[in-house]
Amino acid sequence: MSKSRWRKLLALLMVFGLIAAACGDDDDEATDASEEAGDDGEGDGDGDGESAAASGDFGGAVVTITGPERTDGDIASINDALNQHFEPLNLTVEYTGDADWEANINTQVEGGNPPDISFFPQPGKLADFARAGSVVELTDGVNAAIDENWAEGYQLDGNVDGVQFGVPAKTDLKSIVWYQPGRFEADGYAVPETLDEFKALVDEMAAAGGAKPLCVGIESGQATGWPFTDWIEDLMLRLHGPEVYDQWISNELPFDSPEVQEAMQTVVDLWTDENVFASGGTISATSFFDNAQPLVDGQCYMHRQANFFAGFFPEGTTFADDSDPDTVSVFYFPDVSGDRPVLTAGTLAAAFNEDPATMAVLEYIATSDYAENRQRILTEFLGGGLSGYLSAAQGQDPSVYQPLEQEFLSILADAEISRFDGSDLMPADVGAGTFWSEGTSLVNGDTDVATAAQRIQESWPS
Amino acid sequence: MQTLERSDESASEETVSTLRRNVLRRDRTPREYLTLGVGVLVVLGLLVWSFFESKIRTTSVTVVVAVVASGGIWVGANLLFDQVRDNYQRFNAIAYAIIGAVVGVLLHGNLITVGSGEGFLPWVLGPLAGAASFGAIGLALALNDDPQRRLAIGLGGSAAIGLVISLLIRDVYYPGLDAVAIVAYTVVLAAIGGGLSYLRKRPPVGGVLLGAALGWLIGAWGGADLGEGSIATSLVATLPVALLIGTRLGISKNLDYAERLALDTRSRATIFVGPALLFIFGLLVIPAIRTAYLSLLDRDSQEWVGLENYTSVFTDRDSLDLENWTWMFTSVPFLIGIGVLVIALIVGIQMRRTTGYAVEIGNPTMAPLIVGALLVSFGVFTALRGTIINNMWWVVVVTFGSTAMGLAIAVFADQRRGERVAKSIVFMPMAISLVGASIIWRFVYAARDISTEQTGVLNALWVGLGKLSTGSGLPTLIITAVLILILLGLFMMLAYNLTRYGVGRAVVPGVLILLVGWFFIRFIGAFGTVGVGGFKVAPDGEISAQTVNFVQEGPYNNFWLMVIMIWIQTGFAMVILSAAMKAVPTEFIEAAKIDGATDSQIFWRVTLPQIATTIGVVVTTTIVGVMKVYDIVKVMTNGQFGTQVLANNMFQEAFSFTNIGKGAALAMLIFLSVLPIMYSNIRRMQREG
Repeated sequence: MSKSRWRKLLALLMVFGLIAAACGDDDDEATDASEEAGDDGEGDGDGDGESAAASGDFGGAVVTITGPERTDGDIASINDALNQHFEPLNLTVEYTGDADWEANINTQVEGGNPPDISFFPQPGKLADFARAGSVVELTDGVNAAIDENWAEGYQLDGNVDGVQFGVPAKTDLKSIVWYQPGRFEADGYAVPETLDEFKALVDEMAAAGGAKPLCVGIESGQATGWPFTDWIEDLMLRLHGPEVYDQWISNELPFDSPEVQEAMQTVVDLWTDENVFASGGTISATSFFDNAQPLVDGQCYMHRQANFFAGFFPEGTTFADDSDPDTVSVFYFPDVSGDRPVLTAGTLAAAFNEDPATMAVLEYIATSDYAENRQRILTEFLGGGLSGYLSAAQGQDPSVYQPLEQEFLSILADAEISRFDGSDLMPADVGAGTFWSEGTSLVNGDTDVATAAQRIQESWPS
Repeated sequence: MQTLERSDESASEETVSTLRRNVLRRDRTPREYLTLGVGVLVVLGLLVWSFFESKIRTTSVTVVVAVVASGGIWVGANLLFDQVRDNYQRFNAIAYAIIGAVVGVLLHGNLITVGSGEGFLPWVLGPLAGAASFGAIGLALALNDDPQRRLAIGLGGSAAIGLVISLLIRDVYYPGLDAVAIVAYTVVLAAIGGGLSYLRKRPPVGGVLLGAALGWLIGAWGGADLGEGSIATSLVATLPVALLIGTRLGISKNLDYAERLALDTRSRATIFVGPALLFIFGLLVIPAIRTAYLSLLDRDSQEWVGLENYTSVFTDRDSLDLENWTWMFTSVPFLIGIGVLVIALIVGIQMRRTTGYAVEIGNPTMAPLIVGALLVSFGVFTALRGTIINNMWWVVVVTFGSTAMGLAIAVFADQRRGERVAKSIVFMPMAISLVGASIIWRFVYAARDISTEQTGVLNALWVGLGKLSTGSGLPTLIITAVLILILLGLFMMLAYNLTRYGVGRAVVPGVLILLVGWFFIRFIGAFGTVGVGGFKVAPDGEISAQTVNFVQEGPYNNFWLMVIMIWIQTGFAMVILSAAMKAVPTEFIEAAKIDGATDSQIFWRVTLPQIATTIGVVVTTTIVGVMKVYDIVKVMTNGQFGTQVLANNMFQEAFSFTNIGKGAALAMLIFLSVLPIMYSNIRRMQREG
């Protein structure tokens, strides 16, 4: 074999090696270590793990966590918040943010190679894994920590058939409306207190003929339509209450029932050409994050979107800063009966093994201490400003949050009822399928409410 | 090497050493030193890196082990079959020993037999025992040619092995016997074995025996609840299998020299083709069969639902919606298409009268026929809806569009100045991934609110045109003037061609006058029209701009997605067709020129028939590619706004909605619709080969 051929062969082998390395699993060491730690515990009897935790030494165990949050700040804050706590206990946490978490977690679980803990952005997926026996039940210690730190509504998100599997780790607040208090004041509008006031305000603004009342956009690439589902969920919660909401997401209440159609019709009636500014021409062609600029440019007054939306405002925007007339703030998306329900999303941490180290990490994630630390580290990492992180854990020190984030916290604290984003709880055929696509058709005016609702109901897997 | 170089005593050694010196001391250029240095550094860096990175270290070890192992198996197999011809006993003994070792690994490695467990010795014990016992039988059989003794060896040896195995099996694996399963499997597989032997023109007894052995094995072990039996059932389950195989071995004969030669030759083919077949089976055939199987189960692959997934694909409103089929009769492209087809009919009758052929490659009937058919298909596809219709529409438009444009560019650029540059530019999109291209076109198609600047090129043009045609400023006047000049020029050309060449040459300016004239009339708003471009007139008469939402406005949003594919695929068609055209022998073209053929006649009558097979290849390749189109739809709409196609639907059902049954059914549908095209492609390749 000539020299150049050897070189080619060598190069080829190297390429194979690198590809294999890239595809390979980087959890080997970590899993080994935690398994060893687990084995040690089991070897000396069951109580040993507990006593190891109590004596404050996990013998160098490593706990791996995966999740969909993957910005540098998220990764750093999760890792640091956990490791600062667990370093004295001789336990290391390795968090990996996975851009393709949803697909990879399936592969990892099916391949018998799951992480120790994973953050689930969707309770539905957690429930699937729980029913399949992939994630394990929480220990009493973790349950106690959840009870102490989280209100019942958030606990329910991690509850599958009466057993707690998920630990609330992050909260997104969806029931808020972004606006500029300065402009409201200048134009003589007041923050609405009820849904009827909200509708009246929209009509008043539209009649005034200046800026449009609402900015709405539901385009989101492959997920086009999801902001529509958020509106419907918020209205279901407001118009019909949490019990009906729960029946709706489990399809006990059919999708084409009058209650759901009423919510859909309310949204359709609000989203008229007179009421809505859509920077992409039509609502369904407007990217959901394209609504921040028009709001500060004065092309619309209000935009209903979750707390993470702060990140989409142009640079230099101030938030809840009374000294700035152009400052952007939020008000609670008004309710009907005064029970102040909030629509939330967020992540839930769940474990794939019962190692004492794994459970110790979950126990800490459930505390308000973790939320505070994560927020503090994230804010430091980003050099001030809004972090995008929020937790509804009770007993946090509000001073680690910015003024606007404190506003979010107070809305969460005032809420008597909280419910998780319904489309994430429905089967994906609906929640990430027809609810989006039929909703988009409805917004485009290609169908009417009855037809859209009926088609969504038909797509519900039996 | 140094010693060699120094010992310059004998002449022959001297030549060798000079040669070596020449090779070794050949002057290297600085460049070579640089590459060498960089290469060494890279290798060293990788080594250091891999030493510290456990991930790379373990992976490298795995890769090396895998490569060495597969290479070793391959070399070993060759070495083994080297023995067939002259050392038959050795070959037989080793072959049997290997089978024995495999059996040992299977039983012992899976901790099924007593004495297996952790550690090196327990691990090698089973395989070694298996190799030794099987190898002894193999050797004994090879040494004996007497039929009765062979039968005795086969039966005795296998009975002994069967007895030992059945006794050694751990009691937790003792099978509870299911007589029905044993009998059924044994009978069925014996019949299959016999049948296979018969087809191979061998005595069927051998096949029956082996089939029965396999059947008994599956029936006794596979159909039973393990752990419910006793040592007796273990014997019943194992011994007959061993005896059947033993009989089969006993009644066989040792190969004579000619048969051994044949085996030697045949084995090589198997060894060489084996790995490829293994990959095709492991990665292609078995997954395909499994997909077919899954497509008959429900969404969780739990219950048998028969063809329900397939029927649901065809009855689902999203897949196939023929409800509004009557719309096609009122659609504009359909009506124009029918008109063009009528023209084709008239021209065809005329051509039939003059040349004897109504339709012929390159005759005037062709153009209106194709254009008409295409327009009619547009009418049909816009009236019908659904995934399947969309896919068909994609196939028709992209295949025709990219092939026709590729051919046109290949023809018109051929031997012109700037041919290479033009072709490079057309070919360039091929280098962009479909996802990348889709993102580029997202920006081209972007639409913004009319109160803001349009960022998408097409909408900027469209809205700009609308503003021009409904405006009254200087730019509008300039455009009007330019249009009038163009029209005047076209009229002069028409008149010149009419008087000089006759009606035939007047067609092009005539059509152009109609098109530009129509545009002009609408632009200036004569005869009750109100202009062209993106604008909208409110009931109160106020004129405002109007964008086209290319990606979302159905059903033509499908077409705008297809444009992306055409943009990419044209380069491919052009390169292949251009190469084919350059391969047409110049003698033919020169001969045609001498005979007085015009350029267009040469193209239609000489070049085109010569490259017809290549066009076929381009068309079929494109069809196969388009049938599987996924990326563009995924990125642009994810199947919303009525643009769903089969591949994206399949992905969505199987992986987003975890409806495995329907996803598999859609995968099978794509597979089945591509199959005939692949078949014809392969047949053509074989013919050409």
